[in-house]
Amino acid sequence: MTPALEITGLSKTFGEKIAVDHVDLAVPQGSFYGLVGQNGAGKTTTLSMAVGLLRPDGGSARIFGADVWSDPSRALSMVGVLPDGMAMPERLTGREVLTYLGLLRGLPREVVAERAEELLSVLELDAAEKTLVIEYSTGMRKKIGLAVALLHAPRLLVLDEPFEAVDPVSAATIKTILRGFVAGGGSIVLSSHVMALVEQLCDHVGVIDAGRVAAAGTLEEVRGERSLEDTFVELVGTPGAGVKGLSWLSR
Amino acid sequence: MAVALTVPGTMAGMKLAVLRNSMSGQKAGLILTGGVLGLALAGGTLFAAFRSGDLLAAAYAIWMLGWIFGPVFSGGGDETLRPEYFTLLGLPPRRLAAGLLVGAFVGVAPAISLLALAGLAVAGVRQSPVAVVVALPAMFLQLAVFVLLSRVAVAVLGLALRSRVGAVGAGVVNGAILAALGQGWVFAVALGQAGGITPEASAALRYLPSGWGLAAVEAAGTGSWGRAGLALGALALLVALLLAAWAALLTRRTGSARASARGRRPITAASAPGAVVAKELRIWSRDLVRTHQLTFALAYGVFFAAAPLVLGVDGMLPWAGPIFVLMAAAMSANMYGVDGTALWLTLVAPGTADVRGRQLAWLLVVGPVAVALTLAFSAVAGGPDPMVLALTAALLGGGAGIVPLVSVYALVPGTDPHRRGGNPLRFTEDDGAMTGMAYAVLALVALTGAPAAAAVWLYGWAGAAVGVLTGALFLWGLGLLAQRRLHDRGPELLQLMRTGKRPPAEPGGWTRFDDLPKRERIIMAVCWTFGAIPLFPQGVVPALFKVNEVESKSWFLALHLPEAFQWPVIAFMVLLGLGLYGLGVWIPYRHRKP
Repeated sequence: MTPALEITGLSKTFGEKIAVDHVDLAVPQGSFYGLVGQNGAGKTTTLSMAVGLLRPDGGSARIFGADVWSDPSRALSMVGVLPDGMAMPERLTGREVLTYLGLLRGLPREVVAERAEELLSVLELDAAEKTLVIEYSTGMRKKIGLAVALLHAPRLLVLDEPFEAVDPVSAATIKTILRGFVAGGGSIVLSSHVMALVEQLCDHVGVIDAGRVAAAGTLEEVRGERSLEDTFVELVGTPGAGVKGLSWLSR
Repeated sequence: MAVALTVPGTMAGMKLAVLRNSMSGQKAGLILTGGVLGLALAGGTLFAAFRSGDLLAAAYAIWMLGWIFGPVFSGGGDETLRPEYFTLLGLPPRRLAAGLLVGAFVGVAPAISLLALAGLAVAGVRQSPVAVVVALPAMFLQLAVFVLLSRVAVAVLGLALRSRVGAVGAGVVNGAILAALGQGWVFAVALGQAGGITPEASAALRYLPSGWGLAAVEAAGTGSWGRAGLALGALALLVALLLAAWAALLTRRTGSARASARGRRPITAASAPGAVVAKELRIWSRDLVRTHQLTFALAYGVFFAAAPLVLGVDGMLPWAGPIFVLMAAAMSANMYGVDGTALWLTLVAPGTADVRGRQLAWLLVVGPVAVALTLAFSAVAGGPDPMVLALTAALLGGGAGIVPLVSVYALVPGTDPHRRGGNPLRFTEDDGAMTGMAYAVLALVALTGAPAAAAVWLYGWAGAAVGVLTGALFLWGLGLLAQRRLHDRGPELLQLMRTGKRPPAEPGGWTRFDDLPKRERIIMAVCWTFGAIPLFPQGVVPALFKVNEVESKSWFLALHLPEAFQWPVIAFMVLLGLGLYGLGVWIPYRHRKP
């Protein structure tokens, strides 16, 4: 079966720094894939290149077999993207953002209106009907971002840090929606550095360290008998570097 | 007491450190160019100090206006040290303001202004050596007034931009004052008709806060120490008041410009381009910074064209329309940059005509106002003029084409709207580049009017049709180029917006200014800054004067020489100007990557 997302030899160098070094990953259809790594390991760079937001120096990314860089309109119509910390049309309300993007994606007006209504109510954004996105809290921003990603009924979701700085109530809402999406046959890739969250949600894991894939496979294959956190620290941690305390804080 | 001194000391040190770290690349070139221009202006002011007190008072009034209005049009002024940095320290507002003020004195602009204010000492010495005793404190107090007025003006405008009424009001006032400065010759001629600077004008110049220092020095020069003390005291009091006002305003600095809270109309568009237009029109009406910019452009156009009415001349009135279009285009330069990383949404929905939607929205906002201005003022001032009508059409199309084109080719990365600091005028970390781009757009849009102007000049009314035609062509063609660029280089533009850094130059391409060695950068900056002086005022203009047998000699070197040398000197000046520009182009060409 064609993978939902297939990344082959993706590379990116910024000046002297090699950010992503020949990364290969395959996200099977119907899987919930967690990409873990330290800050600066190359998760965001890899995912940006996989969805057409950053041009790679080499390698390719295919979404259900369609190449992101040579056949963008077909590839990008099948994926919903939630990037981390990017701007929105900030002076629109949530409903207006969804209407604008739905029309931009070529959906008929009635469909857009119907889906926007449903998304806003499921994500509990309908109370803030007149609030502009620029006045949204971090949790609300993530939720409207998720609504944007889901609007055109994609078969794959690529989410960069979807739970970063989100309050527990909003996080629970987002988790429910994501689980429902996978249950309905969709595939998800999300990046995170919270191991517990990935263990709780995902069935597949890829560990990225210093721009390379350190381990990849099903959750069981990667972590074995241990917790994901122990596996992760062993894979990417510097051996022998004990954690030092702060001298002036102990009494 | 130690603490009271530490805060300003630390802030001054911090400012110096930031300046030192940013003295590289383009920034250094900009600071250098600005510094050289500032030195020339300071030199002119000192020259005025040797000539007459009235001239000096007028010069200081202009310095003051520059301090007040400069920041309004260059990204909110010097923000090296931002009040937000110190929020968590819990400093009392007045201590914070005092510290920031000391920090504000560290820099190129204050140093140059202080040099210009040395004219006070010159004026003092010319009257009596003891007046220098007054001139020294007057210089520093006057500088403090300039710097504080600048800060208070930005803070007040920031406050005004939190309501629609404030944004419109500030736009009208700024537009009127800037137009008056641009039309200074009108008032000079009016004064000339009145026989030079009248005693009333002379007194008025000294009643302005910019003239108090001079008033103190002049009073001391004539021995009236009481008056001198009074003027100095007034300066000190003004500094204290402005500092208090600034401290009060700093506490009210709360985030970016608010959107207006009017009822929301649902988007009724049914297509992708329609959706872009709907989005853009909503941003135009909700972003109070844009409201301010548009009102400014309108006020500037109207007042600029109406200024000659002071002399009873109404011939310029219909030009309000074309001038408004030019200003509106300059104000909306960097169209894509100000949206920040929101560009990603355009990238994930490929094939949409984003540029076309933005062009249409720009035309819908600027067009009706421009056409109404042109038609109404033409009707008032002697009926329709083919030149004005042709240019209104040509510039509208040219503006709608140039604005998106320049913003995708020379994108200045903007700060994402939700991450901006408390100064609503500041869209980008690179305000020098942003200001430069506004001027570039102004000049380029003006150029798109050239074919229409030439056609009307040659063929009269038949040429007006050319205006409509070239307008449509520029709208279509430049939009197409912008669309292509956005499609081909979208990910690179987004990356630039995310990181604020340009990707390294491609092999074979010309070396960018930043990548040149320091010496070459300085030579280039000098070439581009001064090339215009020999070429135009010393070359082309005196040539035109000679051909048209104009009597005036002004400051054109060639016209002051014996007849036999005039043409050779003009030719030399033109060649010198062209040579400077040529050198400015050749340096990066020679350094291009293999």
